[in-house]
Amino acid sequence: MKMNSINNPCPWHQHRLRRDLLKGAMITAAGWALPNWGALSHSRTIAAEAKRAGKRCIMLYMEGGVSQIDTFDMKPGRPTAGPFRPIHSTVSGIEVCEYLPRMARHTDKLAVIRSMKTKSVDHGIGGYHMHTCYPSSEKVPHAEIGAMIAKYCDNPESDLPSFVKMGPAGCNAGSGYLGPTYEPFTLDTDGRLPGFANPSVSQEVQDRRGKLLEFMEQQHAREHPARPFAAHREAELRTIRLMRARKAFDVADAWNKARDRYGNTPFGRGCFTALKLVEAGVPFIEIGHDGYDSHNDNFPVHKANLKVLDPAWSSLLEDLQDRGLLQDTLVVWTSEFGRTPAINGQGGRDHFGRAWTVVLAGGGIRGGQTYGASNRDGFEVADKPVDEGAYFATIYKAMGVDHRAVHYLGSRPIWATPDGSMPIPELIG
Amino acid sequence: MVSLSPRFYLTCLAVALLMPGWAQSEDRLLRRVIDRETQAVWADQKIAPPGRATDTVFLRRVYLDLVGMIPAYDETVAFLADNHPSKRELLIDKLLADPRHARQQAQVWDILLLGRSPNGIGHPNNRTRFRQWLGDQFQNNVPYDRFVQKLLTAEEDGSQLFYVVHRDADELAAATMRIFLGRQLQCAKCHNHPFEPWTQRDYYGMAGFFVRTYVKEGEQQDHVTRFFVAEKSTGDVSFTVVPKDAPPGFKGTPVKPKFLDGEELHEPALPQDFKEPESKGKTAPPPPLFSRRQKVVDWITSRENPFLAQAVVNRVWAQLLGRGLVHPADDFHSANAPSHPALLRVMQAEFVEHGFDLKWLIREMVNSNAYQAEDTGAVDDAMPKFYERARVRPLSAEEWLASLHLATGLGIESAVKSAPSGDMLKYLGQPTDGQGAFQGSLSEHLFLHNGDGFRGLCHPRNGNLPEQLVKSEEGWEAKVERMFLSILSRPPTAVERQQFVQYLNPEPSDAKVRSQRMEEAFWVLVTCSEFRFNR
Repeated sequence: MKMNSINNPCPWHQHRLRRDLLKGAMITAAGWALPNWGALSHSRTIAAEAKRAGKRCIMLYMEGGVSQIDTFDMKPGRPTAGPFRPIHSTVSGIEVCEYLPRMARHTDKLAVIRSMKTKSVDHGIGGYHMHTCYPSSEKVPHAEIGAMIAKYCDNPESDLPSFVKMGPAGCNAGSGYLGPTYEPFTLDTDGRLPGFANPSVSQEVQDRRGKLLEFMEQQHAREHPARPFAAHREAELRTIRLMRARKAFDVADAWNKARDRYGNTPFGRGCFTALKLVEAGVPFIEIGHDGYDSHNDNFPVHKANLKVLDPAWSSLLEDLQDRGLLQDTLVVWTSEFGRTPAINGQGGRDHFGRAWTVVLAGGGIRGGQTYGASNRDGFEVADKPVDEGAYFATIYKAMGVDHRAVHYLGSRPIWATPDGSMPIPELIG
Repeated sequence: MVSLSPRFYLTCLAVALLMPGWAQSEDRLLRRVIDRETQAVWADQKIAPPGRATDTVFLRRVYLDLVGMIPAYDETVAFLADNHPSKRELLIDKLLADPRHARQQAQVWDILLLGRSPNGIGHPNNRTRFRQWLGDQFQNNVPYDRFVQKLLTAEEDGSQLFYVVHRDADELAAATMRIFLGRQLQCAKCHNHPFEPWTQRDYYGMAGFFVRTYVKEGEQQDHVTRFFVAEKSTGDVSFTVVPKDAPPGFKGTPVKPKFLDGEELHEPALPQDFKEPESKGKTAPPPPLFSRRQKVVDWITSRENPFLAQAVVNRVWAQLLGRGLVHPADDFHSANAPSHPALLRVMQAEFVEHGFDLKWLIREMVNSNAYQAEDTGAVDDAMPKFYERARVRPLSAEEWLASLHLATGLGIESAVKSAPSGDMLKYLGQPTDGQGAFQGSLSEHLFLHNGDGFRGLCHPRNGNLPEQLVKSEEGWEAKVERMFLSILSRPPTAVERQQFVQYLNPEPSDAKVRSQRMEEAFWVLVTCSEFRFNR
């Protein structure tokens, strides 16, 4: 997409090229000291960039911990089953919850991993682990998956943010060691821009004062190389570009036609905005759907949530397919952990990491299958356990990102996934 | 008891021999220990000791840290013109005595205790009331152990919000351990602690002290709710076994309260046929027959409990110098060693010796060379590990807005009264990842570009500084000088002066153009990095 007016001579702040930043430039011609944020060698990055162009990822994040037994890994007839009934789907052998009737028509696109076995089973640490692939206890500023994909799948010519995050996500690690270029642009669940996104001054004023600001920043940067200053300057540059590209977020007219299908909810609107952003070339969008932490009243809570989830998620898949975008867009459905098979005294299910479910669909994924299994009552993985490393490696593989990409924090190497993490070949299509 | 390093004794001895009169003044000792210990680590690490921050850099830093706003123009001019050899020390004393200091401490502790956007506190006035209560404690310099005791006993009017936000036993046990004792016990909820000899039994033992505690709402006045932190006489926590072994409907085994250091609580048996009394209406509920909570509060705040002093000296150090000696400041465990162990031991011992006097502690830290280190140099870390360069921190939303009021000439009174809008809190309220790393957010910059509450302050009107400068007869260079001293607390450099004069008074121009340019120039100076951070 082309948001820039090519004939316009651009003032400094509008066209500090992201390419410059990708080079991990130490000092630019203007004298801005830019830190070498976890830089790779320049030629490799750019070459690889071109090849991967076009890959996108939308991550639907069920904040609080979604119950596998009440969605995609049902246990009919078992003491852990709960009251929800399974229904048939378009793929024989894959049954889903009765409150996901529209998703049941799309199981041919889905790879349902029923054998997630993860370690961090509280919200803060689980949210961190399922966003960065590492436990938070390491105290290393790991990068979120959104920042990693933004880095490798970004279109450097686009003015749009490369990592958009809507609603609650249970993790604020941000771009970590990848640096401020890939910090998320955060919005509410419905994807609306804040009221103050429209420029309040004329382009002339913006350019003029922008030059004076640049002068001040240059003076300051000479003696102050600390990262927070660089992050602040970088955010200012990105904001100028975002204001130019902001129309991509304006989906109001199209939403009026789509909202009956997506469900007239903030999450539905968020999913629809994600579709529009993918069309506009944004490589990673995360949408949080909150309220799954059902220690009490698991079933009414899940039933209400699934009624919001089902139309939004299924319409997103349909629209991506209709537009020919699904083959290049990976849609991930995930959470910080699952919920206990045992039902507690308050009719709730508690945090559970030993055998739970995530779902992948679209770009790079072989759909229409389940992978792995939990045991009869769902307390343990019975077949092909998948840990955080394998899960992230699979997503990175599907996105064409090297799951062992290495970056440096000072002289310390950090890999995108831990040593020994391997993509799951059966899931890659 | 704490053992002091031989180096500490030697340095004290040396100081005593060289400067007998000075060394006798015990109050002045800790800052020199800090100097000596940080210096020793720089030598060990082969790091060149940092130079001293210039007066302008020190001035802005110490105002933000101690009173939560930049200095007003007059304060800046007075300090820079002062030739007194101890002017920094005198300024520190002045700021510690300023009511704004208590206000600042209240803001810091309010966010620490409640978080930035807690649930369940109802009308914002409840939080304002809580901040007032905190402010009173700091204004009276209530000894820290007594402060914690009052906060956790929660009987004084306005003191209850900690319990309103942290409502269940799990949360209360974890939050009190983390905030007041610097220990992350919550890991032991689901599995035995990875680094410490704490088991799940210890976790549930601590939770047992809070399990009977609940909050009752009383009358409301001016949208301030009277909260009662109450306690029942019955109820136990249940230790839930791993789900694998749990039969359906099983609710776990009741666990008796147990102090973290191993002792089980002895509590009197309940009278036979005891029935929990009902608490009706909006009045204070009846007290329990035996208060478990009081027992754990006594244990936390006992002078026998070394964790209380250790955790707070480390926390205050982190508040002022960026990184805790143990970092993160609330995560003491055996695999997370302090960067300056001897210094931590001395600070802890001296703090107890000084009767848990927070103001004394802050005064000593702020008078140290490490605190007053220069802000320039090659290190790019926001919070250098060995304090070899002053830390860089973003202003909190409250500090930022109060500073804007001063920068635009609205005066100290206006700054003290300022309260960030919902948008300001949302878009500037959480600028870091929680570990101190600044995350430049696009929404923040969108707000700086276009947010109403922000732009209005730069617009010349109602006698604010932009308007005064537009109307004043003084020369352009003097105007630029006043702008820089007001906003950045320093005079402009020669090249800055030249750039701004040109910008403010372009050829050709008229009153309207000059007014417009004045607004733009203010916008630039309050938007740049130098204003966003403590330097």
